Amino acid sequence: MKNFYILIAVLFIPWSFSLAKYDEFEDGDDIMEYDDNDFAEFEDVNEDAVTESPQRVITTEDDEEEATVELEGQDENQEDFDDADAQEGDTESEPYDDEEFEGYEEKPDASHSKNKDPITIVNVPAHLQNSWESYYMEILMVTGLLAYIMNYIIGKNKNNRLAHAWFNTHRELLESNFALVGDDGTNKEATSTGKLNQENEHIYNLWCSGRVCCEGMLIQLKFLKRQDLLNVLARMMRPASDQVQIKVTMNDEDMDTYVFAVGTRKALVRLQKEMQDLSEFCSDKPKSGAKYGLPDSLAILSEMGEVTEGMMDAKMIHFLTHYADKIESVQFSDQFSGPKLMQEEGQLTKLPETKKTLLFTFNVPGSGNTSPKDMESLLPLMSMVIYSIDKAKKFRLNREGKQKADKNRARVEENFLKLTHVQRQEAAQSRREEKKRAEKERIMNEEDPEKQRRLEEAALRREQKKLEKKQMKMKQIKVKAM
Amino acid sequence: RYKPPATETNPALEDPTPDYMNLLGMVFSMCGLMLKLKWCAWIAVYCSFISFANSRSSEDTKQMMSSFMLSISAVVMSYLQNPQPMSPPW
Repeated sequence: MKNFYILIAVLFIPWSFSLAKYDEFEDGDDIMEYDDNDFAEFEDVNEDAVTESPQRVITTEDDEEEATVELEGQDENQEDFDDADAQEGDTESEPYDDEEFEGYEEKPDASHSKNKDPITIVNVPAHLQNSWESYYMEILMVTGLLAYIMNYIIGKNKNNRLAHAWFNTHRELLESNFALVGDDGTNKEATSTGKLNQENEHIYNLWCSGRVCCEGMLIQLKFLKRQDLLNVLARMMRPASDQVQIKVTMNDEDMDTYVFAVGTRKALVRLQKEMQDLSEFCSDKPKSGAKYGLPDSLAILSEMGEVTEGMMDAKMIHFLTHYADKIESVQFSDQFSGPKLMQEEGQLTKLPETKKTLLFTFNVPGSGNTSPKDMESLLPLMSMVIYSIDKAKKFRLNREGKQKADKNRARVEENFLKLTHVQRQEAAQSRREEKKRAEKERIMNEEDPEKQRRLEEAALRREQKKLEKKQMKMKQIKVKAM
Repeated sequence: RYKPPATETNPALEDPTPDYMNLLGMVFSMCGLMLKLKWCAWIAVYCSFISFANSRSSEDTKQMMSSFMLSISAVVMSYLQNPQPMSPPW
């Protein structure tokens, strides 16, 4: 009997141990992990919305194996889980199946646990927010674009108004002096359109022709770029003014050979550097015009003193003094070829073409803030232009002056030829070789053998003749040297 | 007497701005498309507008339109790929 009781006692102890283990197992971390793995799938689903991992406290009652889980902050999970599928009093202590953890209820203890775990508010990405405020950079950009478009329209209209105001004031004078006013080159016959030719939003052209001594006159109204906002902003830093450029092309017989310029000192310095003819013929620096009664702001560049004397007659001086603030530059030149071409030395084989021209550049008063009324003040300047045309026709150099002028021109040409001598030689050489090659090809291409032979003989004869000529020349030179 | 030439004889004298802006606009819009940079695409739109404002009347309108369309498409594509608003660099 005693042994039996001892045996029972001995058996009882491990059983109790096993029970205890069960408790441990229940309360220990293992369960948590087990549960976490179990609920892992639910955790992934709710990752975005919830920042905190759900805390679950599992309490088990000793005898009842009812697992209850407390979920915190998982409002959405409530709906997912079924209600108490409680297994009451099941004795399935061993296997911790999923079944055991199916019955989830949110306990009223949830509020209790909330105090322990703070809820963090998730930042919803900006583009999912339903507010325009987050797009303020884009709104700024679009506003900038709209401002640019507004400025374009306003600037374009202003330039247009200025141009037409100019034209209206000058129309009479032009039509009285020129037979053809306004031509854009598209018609076959020269008919007067009587309109400005708009090249750009800020450049307007007008071609007048049909006067006695000039081929034609091209007037360019070069306004400021009011249609470009960037330009408008740049102009706030650096004031500039609209310009009227007039280029009169003279007939060859109507102008004598001289180069002469008057203008503001700054403009003349710039022109002397840029313009081909001024740089070659007027070597001196711009001289002050005070000698002739011109205001200090104006300076003179001239090929020779005689030209200056001839040009500066009373009326001209009157014009220049009265409108000195509007004059930027005035240039009379018979060797006008435009600004210096920036070419490499090797490419120049010919002197650029020259035309006899009178160039006038006027600044519109107002320095940018011009109004159409300012255009009227430019009318006298146009009269000056007409007067200059007549004057250029009448003015003739005397004998000395002519000689000097011719010498100058010859000098310039010689310099140029020297510079390009090597290039011209090479060009001639290559041309000769080309000719020879062409001949040979012709001979080869001839199908008739007879003709071929004849051509070959002709080529041989020609070459022999050339050699003979050369020898003769050499002999002559030798004789002369002796 | 004569008809006018009335045309620019020296292309070198002419303002190169519209051509530069055209090129810049295309470069920026390609950058914006390839590198998905929104600000590049916006600058391309601006360049295209500036080029249009400075263009000569003889300039090809097809060229203008194509550069404009390219820049607009760069902006749209950048926003489709990444609808988040632009963040300023500061």
